[in-house]
Amino acid sequence: MKSVIGLEIHVQLSTKTKAFCSCKNEVDAKANTNICSVCTGQPGALPVLNDQVVEYAIRGALALNCEIHEVSSFDRKNYFYPDLPKGYQITQYFHPIATNGYVELNSGKRIRIRRIHIEEDAGKMFHSSENITESISSLVDLNRCGIPLIEIVTEPDLEKPEEAREFMEKLRDVLRAVGISTGNMEEGALRCDANVSVVNDKGHSSSRVEVKNINSFRFVQHALEYEIERISKVMESGGDVPMETRGWDSISKSTVSMRSKEAENDYRYFPEPDLPILVVSKKRIKRIRNSLPELPDEKAKRYEKEIGIQSENAKILSKDKELSRYFEDAIKIGISAKDASNWIVNEVMALFNADSMEFNPKKISLAHLKKVIDYTNSSKISRLAAKEIIAEVYKTGKDPDVIVKEKNLLQVSDESSLIPIVKEVILENPRVVEQYKKGKASVVGFFVGAVMKKTNGKADPKLAGKLVKKVLDGEFE
Amino acid sequence: MLFKKGVEELVDDVKSGRLDEDSVVSYFKERSARLNPKLRAYISTCTVKGNNGPLHGIPFAVKDNMQLNGTKTTSGSKILENYGSTFTATAVKKLLDNGGTVIGKTNLDEFAMGSSTEYSAFFASKNPWDISRVPGGSSGGSAAAVASGMVPFALGSDTGGSIRQPASFCGIVGYKPTYGLVSRYGLSAFASSMDQIGPLTKSVRDAALVGSMIFGRDLNDATTIDKKINVMNTLENSIEGMKFALPSEFVKGLTSTAKIVLEEAIEALKRLGARVEEVSIPSLKYAVAVYYIIAPAEASSNLSRYDGIKYGLRVEEDSIDETYNQTRDEGFGKEVKRRIMLGTFTLSATYYDAYFDKAQRVRAKITDELLKIFLTHDAIVGPTTPKTAFKFGELSSPLDYYLQDIYTIPANLAGLPSISVPMGFVEKLPIGLQIMGKRFDDSKILQIARAYEKVRGEFPMPNIDDDGGEK
Repeated sequence: MKSVIGLEIHVQLSTKTKAFCSCKNEVDAKANTNICSVCTGQPGALPVLNDQVVEYAIRGALALNCEIHEVSSFDRKNYFYPDLPKGYQITQYFHPIATNGYVELNSGKRIRIRRIHIEEDAGKMFHSSENITESISSLVDLNRCGIPLIEIVTEPDLEKPEEAREFMEKLRDVLRAVGISTGNMEEGALRCDANVSVVNDKGHSSSRVEVKNINSFRFVQHALEYEIERISKVMESGGDVPMETRGWDSISKSTVSMRSKEAENDYRYFPEPDLPILVVSKKRIKRIRNSLPELPDEKAKRYEKEIGIQSENAKILSKDKELSRYFEDAIKIGISAKDASNWIVNEVMALFNADSMEFNPKKISLAHLKKVIDYTNSSKISRLAAKEIIAEVYKTGKDPDVIVKEKNLLQVSDESSLIPIVKEVILENPRVVEQYKKGKASVVGFFVGAVMKKTNGKADPKLAGKLVKKVLDGEFE
Repeated sequence: MLFKKGVEELVDDVKSGRLDEDSVVSYFKERSARLNPKLRAYISTCTVKGNNGPLHGIPFAVKDNMQLNGTKTTSGSKILENYGSTFTATAVKKLLDNGGTVIGKTNLDEFAMGSSTEYSAFFASKNPWDISRVPGGSSGGSAAAVASGMVPFALGSDTGGSIRQPASFCGIVGYKPTYGLVSRYGLSAFASSMDQIGPLTKSVRDAALVGSMIFGRDLNDATTIDKKINVMNTLENSIEGMKFALPSEFVKGLTSTAKIVLEEAIEALKRLGARVEEVSIPSLKYAVAVYYIIAPAEASSNLSRYDGIKYGLRVEEDSIDETYNQTRDEGFGKEVKRRIMLGTFTLSATYYDAYFDKAQRVRAKITDELLKIFLTHDAIVGPTTPKTAFKFGELSSPLDYYLQDIYTIPANLAGLPSISVPMGFVEKLPIGLQIMGKRFDDSKILQIARAYEKVRGEFPMPNIDDDGGEK
């Protein structure tokens, strides 16, 4: 069994105003407050293209290695739904602004992008019941109407659910790097519909099934895993896989049939007569290309090759603009590249990840991070204490100097105060001493552990080990 | 005899103090109130005053498919019967900014789809020359109001002849500017690629004056074009040496009496030193067919917004689909439904190539052939309509009805400026001369129309007043 996956992705652009009117582009404002005669479809209102939308669409398309078309145009997609006030969506159907791009996965495999076009978002519906068929009434919020989107359509180049997830994550990183979208899937700023079919070992292919309502990166993978397994089972049992649209239900962790393809609308696309043809000059495209920042993949390569950090860490640190700036600034204030990458990836990021939070440089200032690293490198505190201090900084923002004092975390690293404790633990454990004498050197670790316990973790473990050996070998007799 | 005066004359009278502005407005309001029961030109009346400006104290009427804040804008449809405007159309606003006062919103065929006002959801307007006949349409209310002197001028909209055909039927001037010269912002869309707002007036000078006030790039309408055109400067210039084309396709369908009237007009143009040459534009025979594919297609999409959800009529049913169906079934009249169905069909995936796409290509061909004529000719002239005003109910077949627009449609397909000037009577009913120019040659067609109007001499007004028109 082999699966074939293609994605259709909608990206909300974070422009100041909507695509075709001057309403604010704010989805979460009070219902029906960011609306006007244009985005509510009043008679006689006309759309006027927001130039920032063109700018953002081109930025995104260039960052995704697309060809930009100097001439593109708008069309109407006609259908009736209460969240679509005009009865049509303005989109680019016949002549999209960009085609032929790609995203490269970590494996080096390229996922081709067929096209990118500009369109407008619809409003939001609120039904009186969870289940739409049981609803007796619905409310509609038109704030989202006319918010600019780009739709990205891939070729069916993805073969595994993990690849689809990686593609989406890479896409988000690129969109954020060029600053055109928040890329937040949970909030609907990045939405993904997946088309999937399964080819069995005899080369027989199932119909294509579209899966909608996938609203997190994890669900991209889960929904596709579920759907591929479902289709495979139907095929194995000799059943028929109908061409249909299914919705991912994150509660039951399954997909549910929404409609068959025969029941789909005929959208009656035709050129939008209210908008002139969109022409962008070669000069403008060149200017935008030159203004693009370093993209995550390029940055990761640079970190690996020029700064010399591990490839895994380089990839993580280059994903997010804030994070990579934090990393680069850490080096600037004198933290070694190796320390900076290890500490940020292993300690700092672990804290944000544990809370499922986005990285925020304000939570742990670089000055504080540097102090913790310096303490550790000079053996003034233990690695364990360092972890504790960073967690405390993250939680309270306190200075590490203060935390060290308050919690009394400085390591005991002078021999004279450690020797009595070492002697004590050796006297307390005569049987382990016997083992050592019989040649089992590894019991040194047991004694070091006991010393650490007695000192509440404050003993310098290296020194403690040295002293344990010396005492056992009778050097202090 | 104020009602006989044109806009320019009234402006002068107010400016010089011979008349005070309030009395002019109240005179026309009273006259409107007196004549309207007979002609039914207005859907609603109002008094919306503008700022200070050259049109200070001059009343005018607006076709009821243009938004005007503070009024109901019905578009002649039951579905918008109680729709209150939330903004003012740019063209109307420009006239208000120039000092004008709107005193009425005029009747039209529902959503401007028709040539007689018989398809208004409310009532039909009457032709002031013969109240058993239609005033033409869709701007029939505006034409009847201007022709009878209820207002000195009115705004109309023209998608396939809706300004020029009623002007022809009512014996007044109707001017459709070049597409893109006047903002469509605030005009309920019928066929967006052809809709254009323009004035209906008693004289060419007034049409040029009002036109010049509503021209201009509008940031709210992306299809408007920034072009400086001064139509007043060249208005009185001679047309000697100009060369006009008379398409044989425009003469074939005329009755013998209409031909005589047209020949007189051609002779008049020749007396002014112009040459008139008969030409053939073969693709014109497809104009009506192309128009009745493209216009309904755009209309079917433009009218989708009237769904009973946000505003306007709503017939509540158990499901959303049934609410849509019942709202639109009760809200739209039969001609509008016919065009929505036509447009929905020609845009459907199966028929798009055979109908809509092909029509677009023929449209380009017609535009091309017209452009070729303008390489060697200054304008295209001919009758505005094949016939004079018909009686109510006379044209029952949609096809005969659609052929009303046969001479006016080409200008909309190609976005050309075009004007209808009264040229005479056929059996006591007026008929217009149409002058069409190349895009942005608005000054030239107005200049030609003005020169013709001068040699033609004064055109009479209908005798509509029971009491002789004086008070």
